[in-house]
Amino acid sequence: MSVSNATATSISHSEKRTLWRFLGLYAFLTLLILILGSTIYYNLQKDLMLQTKRLQLEEYSKELIDGLKLLHIYFDRYRTYPRNPLYRSAIYDADKVRIFSTLKHPEGVQLDKVIYITDHVIHYIHVLDSYYLGAKYVVVEIDDDRTWMMQTWRNILLYGGATLVLFLLSGVMLVRLFLAPMRHAIHLLDRFIKDTTHELNTPVNAILSNIEMIDHSRIDPKEAKKIRRIEIAARTVSHIYQDLTYLILHHQIASQDVKVDLSALLKERIEYFRILADSKKIGIETDTQPGVTLVVDPGKMARLVDNLLSNAIKYNRRGGEVFVRLRPGELLVQDTGIGMDEKQIGEVFKRYKRFDTSVGGFGIGLNIVAMIAQEYGFKIDIHSKIAKGSEVIVRWDV
Amino acid sequence: MGRLSVTILLILSALQGSNVNVYERNCVACHRHVSPSLEKLFFDYLLKYSSERRVKRALADYLKHPTKKRSVASEEVIQKYGLMPKTWLRDTDLHKAIDTYWETYKVFGKIK
Ligand code: HEC
Repeated sequence: MSVSNATATSISHSEKRTLWRFLGLYAFLTLLILILGSTIYYNLQKDLMLQTKRLQLEEYSKELIDGLKLLHIYFDRYRTYPRNPLYRSAIYDADKVRIFSTLKHPEGVQLDKVIYITDHVIHYIHVLDSYYLGAKYVVVEIDDDRTWMMQTWRNILLYGGATLVLFLLSGVMLVRLFLAPMRHAIHLLDRFIKDTTHELNTPVNAILSNIEMIDHSRIDPKEAKKIRRIEIAARTVSHIYQDLTYLILHHQIASQDVKVDLSALLKERIEYFRILADSKKIGIETDTQPGVTLVVDPGKMARLVDNLLSNAIKYNRRGGEVFVRLRPGELLVQDTGIGMDEKQIGEVFKRYKRFDTSVGGFGIGLNIVAMIAQEYGFKIDIHSKIAKGSEVIVRWDV
Repeated sequence: MGRLSVTILLILSALQGSNVNVYERNCVACHRHVSPSLEKLFFDYLLKYSSERRVKRALADYLKHPTKKRSVASEEVIQKYGLMPKTWLRDTDLHKAIDTYWETYKVFGKIK
């Protein structure tokens, strides 16, 4: 039987959540760094591209200004704006009023800048010394072919993706590293519990079977009382043994689901616990509808019922009451015990959680109930009032 | 007294007529005999002052107080033709004349 398998599933839910949170935070930070790096890289590439385009644009603007000069001098005869298919242009006066434009995107012009990209075009702005035709600003526009952008994006995606994967892998490795001591501890605990329980089984069974063989008519009542106490103690140990076995082995044993007569099962389990209840002067009231059936693993169902009953007795007061009701689709177990507040109800299914440490047990009972309920899709409702008692309702679809 | 000045004003403005007339009868009339042409001078102002607001302000400045420093003309041109005599037009008329001058030669809407 593989121990690591048992260990893996033993890492509790909250621990898993912590790990996921760590990984999430880690991925987030990695992404943040990547985005920052990409932005810097992108802007660098853009500046580089603009730098090369700028020389060309300066040439264009010189040519344009020459044309404007001629136009200025011969304006009385000749009024055609200097055009060139290689670029588009516009002129603005000192108050930034547009004098003439062949631009494709005249809306986005920013005269205070020198060169920039807007709407898939590059604008270059030259400020004139002599205002031919009143033009102080000359804007030269060319299309941004965006090959640089494609290239840049490709690089960002490629290298960024690779880094992200690398970082995530190292993140997973880190998590494993952190996990190792924890896994080790759980592994040891599991091993210990397994070994202990195994050694427990035989002696407990020996005690129980031998007590059953005792002929009560042949011993005096005082002795019989003592034997009864021994029987209760042995049954308690047996109960704990079964819980532990379930915890350790449940994920390795496939459920043997058959049609179970719940009414009969309940009756049998109540009888089994009656002796324990009697010892605390607790009365068990039942209202079970006969013939209620359910397709489950009988062993698991017995665990569920046992734990509910055992809790109702364990956390009850002396001379209290336990009430059990069974209907198709619903099982209710009510006690007159110490009760719980809202917060405690929320935590009740956590493993090793005990609210009254004066009472024995490992705090695994309701955890087992929850696991079985989850497996079969049962719904569990808990109502409780401090000092009044609790009721647990298990519901299933009929 | 007040009534008299109002009447004189009315007569004067009637004589001067519309904006175009102030410009035509004052500036153009005199500049017919002056070189360079008003158009050439306009483009010199445009070259130096660029926008409508700045050109008009510089023109008003010069016309009211013509000095060498304010002139756009070169030293030689001033030597040859001298400065323009200080205008005797009142401010409102001067501005009307300048507006017409601008409208006549401005490049807006003329470039093809
Ligand atoms: C009395 C005649 C006269 C009148 C009236 C006159 N000018 Fe002139 N103007 C001149 C002379 C003379 C010059 C100087 C010659 C030159 O600079 O070429 C001159 C020069 C100018 C200049 C060039 C200024 C410079 O910076 O050198 C402008 C512009 C001008 N005139 C506009 C006008 C306008 C507008 C009006 C009407 C409001 C006007 N002129 C009315 C005679 C006149």
